[in-house]
Amino acid sequence: MFARDALSGTRAPWLVYLAGFLACLLLPYAGFSGFVVHQLQTFCYTAIAVIGLNLLLGFSGQMSLGHAGFFAIGAYGSAITSLKLNWPIYLSIPFGTALSFFAGALVGVFALRTRGLYLAMTTLAFGFIVDIAAQRWVDLTGGTMGLMLIPQVGGSSMSSASFNYLALCLVCLLLVQMAADFISETASGRSLRALRESEIFAASVGLNVPIWRAATFAFGSACAGLAGSLFAHQSGFIGSDAFTVRLSVAMLIAAVIGGLGTRSGPLLGTAILLVIVETIAGQEKFGLIIYGLILLFVLLIFPEGAAGAIGRLSSKFASGAKSIVYNVTKLGLPFNQFNGLQLEVKGLVKKYHGVTAVDSVSFKVKAGSIHGLIGPNGAGKSTVINVIAGVYRHDGGSVILGDHDLGFKGTAQRASLGLARTFQNLQLIQAITVAENVMLGFKPRWSLARTFFDWISLKGCERADFEDALSVLQFLGIADTAKKLPGEISFGHRKLVELARAIAQQPVVLLLDEPIAGLNTAEAKKIAEVVRQLKSLGVTILLVEHNMEFVMSLCDEVSVLHYGRLIATGTPAEIQANAEVIAAYLGSKGSTDD
Amino acid sequence: MEFSTALQLTISGLTMGSIYALVAMGLYIAHLTTHRVNFGQGDYMMVAGFLVLGLGRLGLHAILSVLVSICMLGLMGYFLERVAIRPLDRFKRISVGAYGWILTTAGLALIAQNSVELVWGKSAQYSPPLFSSKRDQMVTIFGARFLLEELIVIIVAMTVVACFLWLIKKSRWGKAIQVVAFNPETAELLGINTKSVKIFAFVVASVLAGVAGVLIGPIVTLQPHMGLVFTIKALIVATVGGFSNPVGILIGGFLFGICEAYSNYFDSQFGDLYPLLIALGMVALRPSGIFSERSDDVR
Repeated sequence: MFARDALSGTRAPWLVYLAGFLACLLLPYAGFSGFVVHQLQTFCYTAIAVIGLNLLLGFSGQMSLGHAGFFAIGAYGSAITSLKLNWPIYLSIPFGTALSFFAGALVGVFALRTRGLYLAMTTLAFGFIVDIAAQRWVDLTGGTMGLMLIPQVGGSSMSSASFNYLALCLVCLLLVQMAADFISETASGRSLRALRESEIFAASVGLNVPIWRAATFAFGSACAGLAGSLFAHQSGFIGSDAFTVRLSVAMLIAAVIGGLGTRSGPLLGTAILLVIVETIAGQEKFGLIIYGLILLFVLLIFPEGAAGAIGRLSSKFASGAKSIVYNVTKLGLPFNQFNGLQLEVKGLVKKYHGVTAVDSVSFKVKAGSIHGLIGPNGAGKSTVINVIAGVYRHDGGSVILGDHDLGFKGTAQRASLGLARTFQNLQLIQAITVAENVMLGFKPRWSLARTFFDWISLKGCERADFEDALSVLQFLGIADTAKKLPGEISFGHRKLVELARAIAQQPVVLLLDEPIAGLNTAEAKKIAEVVRQLKSLGVTILLVEHNMEFVMSLCDEVSVLHYGRLIATGTPAEIQANAEVIAAYLGSKGSTDD
Repeated sequence: MEFSTALQLTISGLTMGSIYALVAMGLYIAHLTTHRVNFGQGDYMMVAGFLVLGLGRLGLHAILSVLVSICMLGLMGYFLERVAIRPLDRFKRISVGAYGWILTTAGLALIAQNSVELVWGKSAQYSPPLFSSKRDQMVTIFGARFLLEELIVIIVAMTVVACFLWLIKKSRWGKAIQVVAFNPETAELLGINTKSVKIFAFVVASVLAGVAGVLIGPIVTLQPHMGLVFTIKALIVATVGGFSNPVGILIGGFLFGICEAYSNYFDSQFGDLYPLLIALGMVALRPSGIFSERSDDVR
């Protein structure tokens, strides 16, 4: 929420980074004492680890209680290769980082199947295992006695060597911060937030959830590994005592205290952490109590952290923050042609624990037509939609898009083939604006390199997407909500936003799950009008809805489900005259059910 | 390996396993009710061990010091719910998001560790035996000699677990917990005070940790930082058993304990790592646990 979006900035990011880079080169000449230089080095590598943790926890919502483990792997990876294999530092540090990256990817694979509590447990156990291994595998790690005389960066004198090392640490920090900024400010940041709030949603806009989660994990671990490598060469000594769970907790404290999910949070948090560590250095006896109290205090009283507090203050004083006003220049949708395909369901079967919810259902949705799917509650309509969308695996039959059997393809793959959907229970991402929710639907416009170039030079890499999102919203008549959060707009508008997001996916087939449930007549009329327009643009639409008037007036064909079986398919007029359908809805004479 | 060695290892494994199961039951009931657990569950256990030790040194009768310690743990459970769990409901939507409780309960655990360290010191300590007359009183069964203490620990732990299962499955409180677990709003509509049910869950969880702490004092050395390992192992046992199935957790605890006893016997250097690695592998293959059914979210 506090993250700056790439639209509202007025300063070119590259200027900031260039200034930072120059500062890195000049800082060694500032004449700091040896102690300050050492602290600054510590700040740099700790901040690098915390940035990774922030991306992991603050953006993608994955908990890691074992970050000390990745830190240790990086440290030992770099220390051992440089010490025992005589690798130069410039090779051993990337090696340590890469080692952590792969360890992170491996744990990330565990993470794919585990969530929340389980993930916290897995990472905690991982950190514990690494800690024990570091302690006891004395031949390799030196245990608590540690590894000594690890090669360090050279220089003409002791102090110039440590200045050189500081410059190296600073440059690493700058690069990591830049990478994290790029990720969080562009489409990937949106995707991570979407992933955090709803994986089903993320998959439905075509994000490959497992890959995203594992990649975030690997990135976070690589950051910790880089930090560990830099730590190893800082004073030339590492002992296993440095890598206990206490380090993981300290890094978490820094991330939380600085403000999770913000850009400046990790830097602020690390600075605060180091001040705390220095302050309690003389009070070693109470160290853990102080850590514990800080955790409680920050989480219970200051959950947005330092960056959040500063953001709130600065927005209070500078209420007229500059934001670029966008006019809708394009009228109508950004794409004027949808190539609707035929959707066919053949002999579909879905069982839940032996209960057959859908029993050999077959129907065809002709290309460019509107097909209604109706039936009493519990008839299996939502199950059919979810099977078509790839949320559930079917137990028999097939779903065919165009002439392509979808088999057991996942939601994300189906979405990228052009199968878009809306949800019965709204799935909007609460942490980002309405426009950004819609932008989640767009496919990446340019290559990563081009996006990066646009981002760093402030060409407005997001501008084109934003304008397109705006015109989709305009098409639905709610362009004025673009900059609001989903929680701030009415229920009816939220339903329209969902539709807008689905349209942004430029679907060949659109699945609408109860699009007008809970809406008033005017809003329902608006949706009906939109659905008709979409049809005229060529979209194939499958519609589940309870409102008969809505279904009968819109649909070209209607299928009726009852207790998981298809009891009729035909034009609205045929369906309305069908005796079995009437019996299913109203009960027939002598019928015992209901 | 001789038969008697195997039998001894098995009994030791069952002893530690029953301790893990007790600690894990606490995680289970808290998770069932609130979808949150105390990440300091092992530290709570450690606190109970030290309380019995400390009260005993003050001259309190053994039975009395056990009772007082367990009551103290109940109070700590209440405190935990009020301080580290409930207040977080206020900010559901901030970025710490759903997992703030991991950090708050871990924070309390750190405070507990440090407090114990301040009172009883950092070094490892032995607690006097509860059931046997001296530390290494042995009994001989089928030619194998066992520590009497271990055998009684297993029996007591099983009795407590049985009472716990009765509480969950049969008592009114247990039914209230099941309803709150199913849906807190429905529970409110049925006239169940969800707040007190949640407090009850955490009190029971802490009491179980307390029982574990009382039992474990005499069979291992007590040390202020021992808790984390038990938290990790209990979490793993609960996960492997399937977080929704108390009987599965019990079996999981025994399996883990036995596995650990044997692996320590064969490899004294890294012995305690193998069970963890195996269990993690199992979690990766079957995240919902070996004894639980996968349930689809039907909407």
